[in-house]
Amino acid sequence: MIYSFWIFDKHCNCIFEREWTLGSNTNNPNALSSGTINSKQNDEIGKLLYGMIFSLNSITQKLSTSISDNQINNNIRSISTGKFRIHTMQTATGLWFILITDFKQQNYSQVLHYIYSHIYIKHVVHNFLSPYDFALNPKEQRGQGVKKINNRHFINTLEAFLQSMLN
Amino acid sequence: MGIEAILIINKSGGLIYHRSFDVSKTNPTGTTSKHSLNSNDLLILASTLHSVFVISSQITPKALQLSQSNLNYTIPYHPYVGVKNPEKSPRNSIPNKYGSFKGDDYFKEPFHSWNKSGLKQLSTDQFTMYIYQTMTGLKFVAISSTVLPSHNDSETNMMNNSGININNNSSKNINALQYNLGSQIADNLLRKVYCIYSDYVMKDPFYSLEMPIKSDLFDDKVKSLIDNLL
Repeated sequence: MIYSFWIFDKHCNCIFEREWTLGSNTNNPNALSSGTINSKQNDEIGKLLYGMIFSLNSITQKLSTSISDNQINNNIRSISTGKFRIHTMQTATGLWFILITDFKQQNYSQVLHYIYSHIYIKHVVHNFLSPYDFALNPKEQRGQGVKKINNRHFINTLEAFLQSMLN
Repeated sequence: MGIEAILIINKSGGLIYHRSFDVSKTNPTGTTSKHSLNSNDLLILASTLHSVFVISSQITPKALQLSQSNLNYTIPYHPYVGVKNPEKSPRNSIPNKYGSFKGDDYFKEPFHSWNKSGLKQLSTDQFTMYIYQTMTGLKFVAISSTVLPSHNDSETNMMNNSGININNNSSKNINALQYNLGSQIADNLLRKVYCIYSDYVMKDPFYSLEMPIKSDLFDDKVKSLIDNLL
C-alpha cells in the first residue's frame, strides 16, 4: 500500500506531493481517487520529511567507505519506522523522489526509477511550457517561494501508474 | 550478516558506547574504526539518530492516522543468534559459557517491540543500520554490511509489465520476507546486547548512569556475541 509520494528539488523545496488518505479502506469506491495533491497542509510535513532524509543522508555520506578517487555515493535507499517505510531515490540533478509505503514490499526503487525516467522526464522535463527551475527566484536559497508541478498529464499518468499498487 | 559497528545511545541522545568490528580482520584488536570517523562525527551521528526518532513519528501518513489498523509489534524469536548452538557443536560439552542467568540463549520467547513509531532500519547503498529501542529510551544501533538488492536486478522485468500487479509478484513477496527476517534477526541480536548491558553494565556498582561505558567484561561479551554471528 502506498501512502504518499513526494518530489523535492535541488533547493530542498517540495515541488510535488500526493497523499492518499482512504487507501486503507478498500470497500470505498472513492478510495483510489482520495487524498490531496500539493496540499498546503502538508507543507510542514514535507519540510520535516526532507529535513530527516537530508540529515540522515549527510551522516551516511560520512559513514561511506568509498575511496576518494573511486567515489561511490552512499545514498539512502529506504528508511523504516515502526509504522511505515520511506523509499528514496536521488537523481544526479539533485532531485529527490520519495515514496511512503507500508511493509508489504521491500523494494520500490524500480518504481521510483520508472516514475523518474518514464513519467517525470516525459511530462515535466520534455515539456517546453514547464519551468526549468521550480523556484520563483533563480537565486533561491531557502523557502523564498516555489512553484509546484500542476501538469495534468503528469498527474494523470502518475495516478494511473501508482493505482495498481495502492492496495 | 556482518556487523560492522555497535553503538549505544542514551535516552538524551548522547553516545555512550561505540565499537567497530573490522570485517577484514586487519586489526586484531578491532578498535580502530573502518569508517575513520572521529569522535565528533560519532556524536553527531548519535544525536541525529536521536532527533530523527522524534521527527519520524510526526510524519506518519494521514491514512495510517485515520485507520485503526493495529500493527503487530511482536518480534519472533530466532534461536541462537550470536550464540553457539549446543546441538550443532556437541564437542563443546561443557554447559555453555555464553548467555546469562536466563539460560544459554538469553531469552527463548518472542518479544514485544517498544519501538512503535521511531526509526527502525536505515538502508543505504553500502550498509544497513538497525535500531532497537528499549522501554527506557536507550537505543542500540547495529551497522550491518548487508545491502538491499539494487533496482537493476528487477528493472528489465519492470519495464515489461510497467509495474502492473507488483504486489502479486510472488518472488518479490519472498524477498520481502527475507528482508523482514534481517530486521528480526537484528532485533534479536540487539536484544541480546541489551541483556549483556543489563548484566554487565547496569549491575556494575562503579558505573554512573548515562555516562560512557568503559567495561572490559561488557566489551568481551559483545565481542563474542558478534564473533559467533554467522
